[in-house]
Amino acid sequence: MSAAENAKAVLRRLTAASATERILISFAALIMAVLVGAVIILVSGRITTCQTAATTLFGTGFCYDPVEVYLVLFNGALGEPFLVNSPGILKPLNPNWNPLNFGFALTLKETTLLIFTGLSVAVSFRAGLFNIGTQGQLILGGLATALFSFFVAPLLPSGLVGGLILIPLAIVVGALVGGLYGAIPGALKAYADANEVITTIMLNFIAAQIAFVLVSEFYGNPDSQVVETTPIPDWATLLPVAFPQGGDFSILALAFGLALVVAVWFLLEQTSFGYDLRTSGEQPEAAEYGGVDAKRTTVTSMFLSGALGGMGGAIWVLMVMGKWQAGVPALGFDGITVSILAGNNPFGVVPAALLFGTLKSGSLAVQFGTGVPKQLVGVLRGLIILFVAMPEFFRMLGSTIDLEPDRETVATDGGRLGGDDE
Amino acid sequence: MSTTTIDRLRDTELSYRATLAGGALSVFLLIALLGLAFPSSIWGNFLAILTSRSTLSSALRLSVPITFAALGGIFSEKAGVVNIGLEGLLIISAFTAVITTAVVGPEMTVVGLPAIWIGFFAGILSSVLFSALFAVVCIRFKADQIIAGLAVWLIALGLAPFAATVYYGGVNTDNLGTTLGTWTIPVLSDIPFFGAFFDADPAVYMMLVAVPASWYVLNRTAFGRHVRASGENPKALDTVGVDVSRVRYAGVLLSGFLAGVGGSALSLGLGQFVGNNQTMVNGKGFIAIVAYLFGNYNPIGAFGASFLFAGLEAAQIRLQQVPGYAIPDSLIQTIPYVTVLVVLALVGRTRIPEAAGEHYDTGDDNR
Repeated sequence: MSAAENAKAVLRRLTAASATERILISFAALIMAVLVGAVIILVSGRITTCQTAATTLFGTGFCYDPVEVYLVLFNGALGEPFLVNSPGILKPLNPNWNPLNFGFALTLKETTLLIFTGLSVAVSFRAGLFNIGTQGQLILGGLATALFSFFVAPLLPSGLVGGLILIPLAIVVGALVGGLYGAIPGALKAYADANEVITTIMLNFIAAQIAFVLVSEFYGNPDSQVVETTPIPDWATLLPVAFPQGGDFSILALAFGLALVVAVWFLLEQTSFGYDLRTSGEQPEAAEYGGVDAKRTTVTSMFLSGALGGMGGAIWVLMVMGKWQAGVPALGFDGITVSILAGNNPFGVVPAALLFGTLKSGSLAVQFGTGVPKQLVGVLRGLIILFVAMPEFFRMLGSTIDLEPDRETVATDGGRLGGDDE
Repeated sequence: MSTTTIDRLRDTELSYRATLAGGALSVFLLIALLGLAFPSSIWGNFLAILTSRSTLSSALRLSVPITFAALGGIFSEKAGVVNIGLEGLLIISAFTAVITTAVVGPEMTVVGLPAIWIGFFAGILSSVLFSALFAVVCIRFKADQIIAGLAVWLIALGLAPFAATVYYGGVNTDNLGTTLGTWTIPVLSDIPFFGAFFDADPAVYMMLVAVPASWYVLNRTAFGRHVRASGENPKALDTVGVDVSRVRYAGVLLSGFLAGVGGSALSLGLGQFVGNNQTMVNGKGFIAIVAYLFGNYNPIGAFGASFLFAGLEAAQIRLQQVPGYAIPDSLIQTIPYVTVLVVLALVGRTRIPEAAGEHYDTGDDNR
């Protein structure tokens, strides 16, 4: 294939995978994941034992009813706007529903955290780097924030003034530590050609162990049986505004996350650094010819990605826990799903995070209401990634259903299709 | 790339690996010297740990899942499909093996086969089915291999604890109360130290057979030639009339089979599946990838690297039991991961198969 033809093929592919198609693929992937998830729910309903069948299909009783599970999930995530227990297909509205409720606060809490980890993954994926290490960067960033806040808090006036000084500083510390930890695999990739998928996964294990040792041996809370740091004073944490206390959601953190979305978009799309980052992700050779210092871009992109992950950890500590505690939830891995679902687009991260936040928060209601384990979300996480990874599947599905003659373009295009621009 | 550059590359790679192996050996010799000179010091303890028969036997046992996953990874990647999902294959087979044994009944025997062996084969089957899914997604639907591999890992990481919770009410399975046990070869097992090779888990013997067998298949058979060509130069393979897709399917399914043996052996060796956090597999699938990169896609080299990582793990576990150290256990536990990282940084410039990671279009793929 000549260079001109090559360029044409690239262009054709880019237009083919337009924004609309991206969104369609994400939706289709979501629907497929939900359908496969429903089958898994049905099957696991045969494995478990129950008194009365929740649903009966083809004369066989099942303990779990997938439709009910998904209904309870969304209803729980929104704080029960519908009375799902009432009979009939159309459920009546709950007269006592209030948007500022506990369930919705949980959803927004998860959404906020996922915006940070989703952005972290998106930045690295756009640079062509598979940063699987957001989890480790989040663990260490969060720990740094917790320790910094704990040690600096006594030096500052307590109350609003202290909070205004300490909280931003603590977030910066978390970002720095997460960024530096992210720069390690970046440097290993740039200067030793070490595959970042493996190094970041190894660094996740190492981060969890290091944080555990630091807290259990040196900085632990002496009054606690659990491996955790001493709680930060309330005035130095992000307290819930308007939403109920137990929901651990602060609208300030969400606003900060949304501002970061705009900032990351601006950085990626409107600055020369962002251009370098994207070209080294999409066409590394072209970037090199164009005079981009590939090694430096790699390290900087990974620093940036790690810093966003570290900020996620900082928000987790300041908004949710008020301290660092061992057994950090898998927010970093969920960030991979969020970013992939968002097509690695910063603006796409927001709806993807909201959707995945709904799944996570609703899964608690599901476990409580129907008995289906909340680990279901873990399964959906993987399924979504799997289906988004194969746009070709949906193209083939589409072409067999509407039988449009676009098969020709698919075949003549040749080479690498679909996910290769991620 | 001209032949001379390739030769030079190969030379530097070889000397690189030789240096590393030599380095590992000299560290060992240094510990031995220090240990002999100061038997009551920390070095004496190290030496005692490294030369004890129980460390060797636990290193062999620990290297089983890593080695099998690495062998699988070699077949898949040599055929041109980068299988990052090995970790997921280990998780799913480890879980399926235990739950099948539990459902059949640990003490039952079906057609002369003890339940634990039925579980063993069920574990392998589950891994093969998962790898088949991965293969279809990558080869038929042209998915990005890295992302699809991540999906396989994350699905298994979600599915195993989910199913365990459905069945047992918690992410860990109950203990079966039985394991694969050990096969002891009389007389030979009485040899000091090396007797550990003849008094081991059945899976250890399987591993010792599978490593040379994989080497033979890969380097001395027509199938092995096709696998290598499919990863290096699929077009040439296509030209001589061999179906590239079929070779790739075979490579990926073989990786599922081998990883399945490793996963089943891992959980049935313990008699339980542990589903906390990263599950009992705990990164072994990713360590396996580094092991075969370190071994330069040679099954025997990959086994050597797996054995090195497993040996570190075994030594690390023993080290925790030695009283009187100020080093916290969790820090010692990072040793294998840090080593993997260092090794990867040093041998990062491995020459991967030319066409690995790329989709190959036969041109008549217009079905």
